[in-house]
Amino acid sequence: MIPKPPRVLIFLGVLAGLAAIVPPAVIARVRATPDENRAVHMFFDMDFQPKFKTQAVNPLFADGRAQRYAVAGTVARGETDLDTHLHQGVVNGAWAESLPAGLEMTDAFLARGQQRFNIYCSVCHGYAGFGDGTVNKRAMELMANAEGPVYGTSWVQAKSLHDPVVREHQLGMLYNVVTNGIRNMAGYGAQIDLEDRWAIAAYVKALQLSQNASLQDVPTELRDNLKKGNLQNGEVK
Amino acid sequence: MSRFLFPRWSNLVLPTIILAALTIPVYAVFFVAYGFSPKTLEVGYQPKQPVPFSHALHAGELGMDCRYCHTSVEKAAHASVPPTQTCMNCHTQIRPQSPKLADVRESYETGLPVEWTRIHKLPDFAYFDHSAHVNRGIGCVSCHGRIDKMEVVYQKSALSMGWCLECHRNPDPNLRPVSEITNLAYDGATELTQTERDALKKKYHISPSEDCSTCHR
Ligand code: HEC
Ligand code: HEC
Ligand code: HEC
Ligand code: HEC
Ligand code: HEC
Ligand code: HEC
Repeated sequence: MIPKPPRVLIFLGVLAGLAAIVPPAVIARVRATPDENRAVHMFFDMDFQPKFKTQAVNPLFADGRAQRYAVAGTVARGETDLDTHLHQGVVNGAWAESLPAGLEMTDAFLARGQQRFNIYCSVCHGYAGFGDGTVNKRAMELMANAEGPVYGTSWVQAKSLHDPVVREHQLGMLYNVVTNGIRNMAGYGAQIDLEDRWAIAAYVKALQLSQNASLQDVPTELRDNLKKGNLQNGEVK
Repeated sequence: MSRFLFPRWSNLVLPTIILAALTIPVYAVFFVAYGFSPKTLEVGYQPKQPVPFSHALHAGELGMDCRYCHTSVEKAAHASVPPTQTCMNCHTQIRPQSPKLADVRESYETGLPVEWTRIHKLPDFAYFDHSAHVNRGIGCVSCHGRIDKMEVVYQKSALSMGWCLECHRNPDPNLRPVSEITNLAYDGATELTQTERDALKKKYHISPSEDCSTCHR
């Protein structure tokens, strides 16, 4: 039988054991809670090199942008916008009724238009184009606030794309609305690529047609099935 | 003068030292591996942003698609953080005078950018490309987590070389159809069967590279 060591030593031993639990506990807590003192670099290695990546800050310029804008008035090769049909949706001074040369109305083109519409337009106009998107709903609630519109909100109901006036719009005009906006709607020319804007315009036309189609628009051999309600996604069940 | 005798309990000293010699290195290794891992030092970085912009509101509640703002994510290596004009598509009309939007308003008037603090940052010697992943069926959620539930964005993944390679060696659990890329609620691991995943792999020609020059170029 070995006699017990003095109390003090037992106490110190237990204390050391307990103290050993503290660092892992602290680390576990750090791991579980996000904060702003992170991204600690133990060794800098070549983590930070004297070069500028996309959207980086360059303090040498007054506006801090490392990415410089082209000098006003410069035109890059292949970036002219002289084709009024392609770039403005205008043919001989009137809104174009067709797609510009090089773009074709195919299933894939419309599917692309649908996807882009759902990304950029549906938040306000709704997926089916009735003007019932989530942002529009929220904004209308802010307008209807009992103590007046919140913080100067001045929202105009996003137009239903099935509105008789909008249905009259030519393809070229729809393209122009997407590119430059109209009245209270901002333009999306900076956010959406040129071809995608045409695809969206084409899809809007398809969307309008889908809500205003007559039996005559359906191929004859499918009409019977349609009347029985058997048509789904353009295919007979 | 009496002779000094070690007390009998000092027989315990030797086993104690041996025990300590065994546990302390194990403890030290554990401490460094756990405490100095990128999962501790980098994950969870959540800087304060100049504008209290909420992804939980815009991408979650309002259901905006990531690409409405991060427009270049499918086309380029870099996923662009939106310019002020994008915010102003809505905020010229929605709460234009809100104090929370003061910096955005100022930026719109002066033309100077809003100074967002960058969160995800690979070392400058590593090369990453968003379009290569996003167009091959790897969704934002695999790397950034549930951004649509974050009031303030924080870094969810370690972004270490080990983390990149873990997926490059076995991308299967993270695969999804390209149409679901920005659908953060979609979970490829439960929604797809292995046969469907194999089909996707074939369709998108997926065989991620482990060559050093893929990421160090
Ligand atoms: C931020 C909300 C918002 C988004 C996003 C949006 N719109 Fe609009 N849109 C509006 C509003 C508001 C109006 C009504 C403008 C007015 O009457 O002053 C409108 C009107 C329109 C009109 C009717 C123009 C007319 O002659 O009356 C069309 C067509 C249209 N939008 C198409 C689109 C398309 C296509 C997209 C996607 C690229 C889109 N919009 C995205 C808010 C939006
Ligand atoms: C309304 C515009 C908007 C939408 C929609 C949006 N974001 Fe963002 N996002 C921003 C802005 C502005 C920032 C920079 C400020 C910040 O970090 O909060 C940002 C930052 C980020 C960052 C961090 C970037 C960095 O600095 O490392 C990630 C990751 C991100 N967004 C992912 C997403 C994902 C995923 C979605 C879709 C679920 C999404 N975002 C939707 C505007 C948006
Ligand atoms: C498609 C429309 C849309 C876009 C684009 C948009 N927001 Fe918003 N934002 C909203 C709506 C709707 C609200 C909610 C208003 C409410 O319910 O109080 C909101 C609320 C906010 C608020 C809270 C305001 C307050 O007073 O509580 C901030 C801050 C904000 N947005 C910042 C931004 C920033 C920064 C961007 C650009 C990166 C941006 N938003 C882009 C629609 C938008
Ligand atoms: C395979 C992993 C992965 C996927 C998938 C991914 N990201 Fe990223 N993201 C990263 C990494 C890594 C960085 C840091 C890049 C750097 O520092 O160069 C980053 C950075 C960002 C940034 C900051 C700007 C930049 O490019 O550095 C934004 C914004 C962003 N991601 C948004 C998104 C969105 C939106 C999606 C989905 C459409 C997405 N990411 C999908 C890994 C990913
Ligand atoms: C969630 C899975 C996943 C993660 C995490 C991931 N990758 Fe990838 N990565 C892929 C897939 C899938 C591909 C496409 C494979 C192919 O091209 O066959 C890919 C391709 C790439 C490519 C090749 C692009 C080209 O031009 O061929 C690069 C570069 C790359 N990844 C870098 C990275 C880096 C750097 C990281 C870590 C910061 C990372 N990846 C993390 C899944 C992932
Ligand atoms: C899938 C992408 C990818 C591949 C493939 C890859 N690396 Fe890396 N590597 C990274 C990333 C990302 C980092 C940065 C990790 C960090 O420090 O956050 C890194 C870091 C490193 C570092 C550490 C630098 C430091 O001091 O921290 C070395 C060394 C390295 N890589 C060598 C290699 C070698 C050798 C290969 C080939 C066998 C290789 N890498 C393949 C993505 C990759």
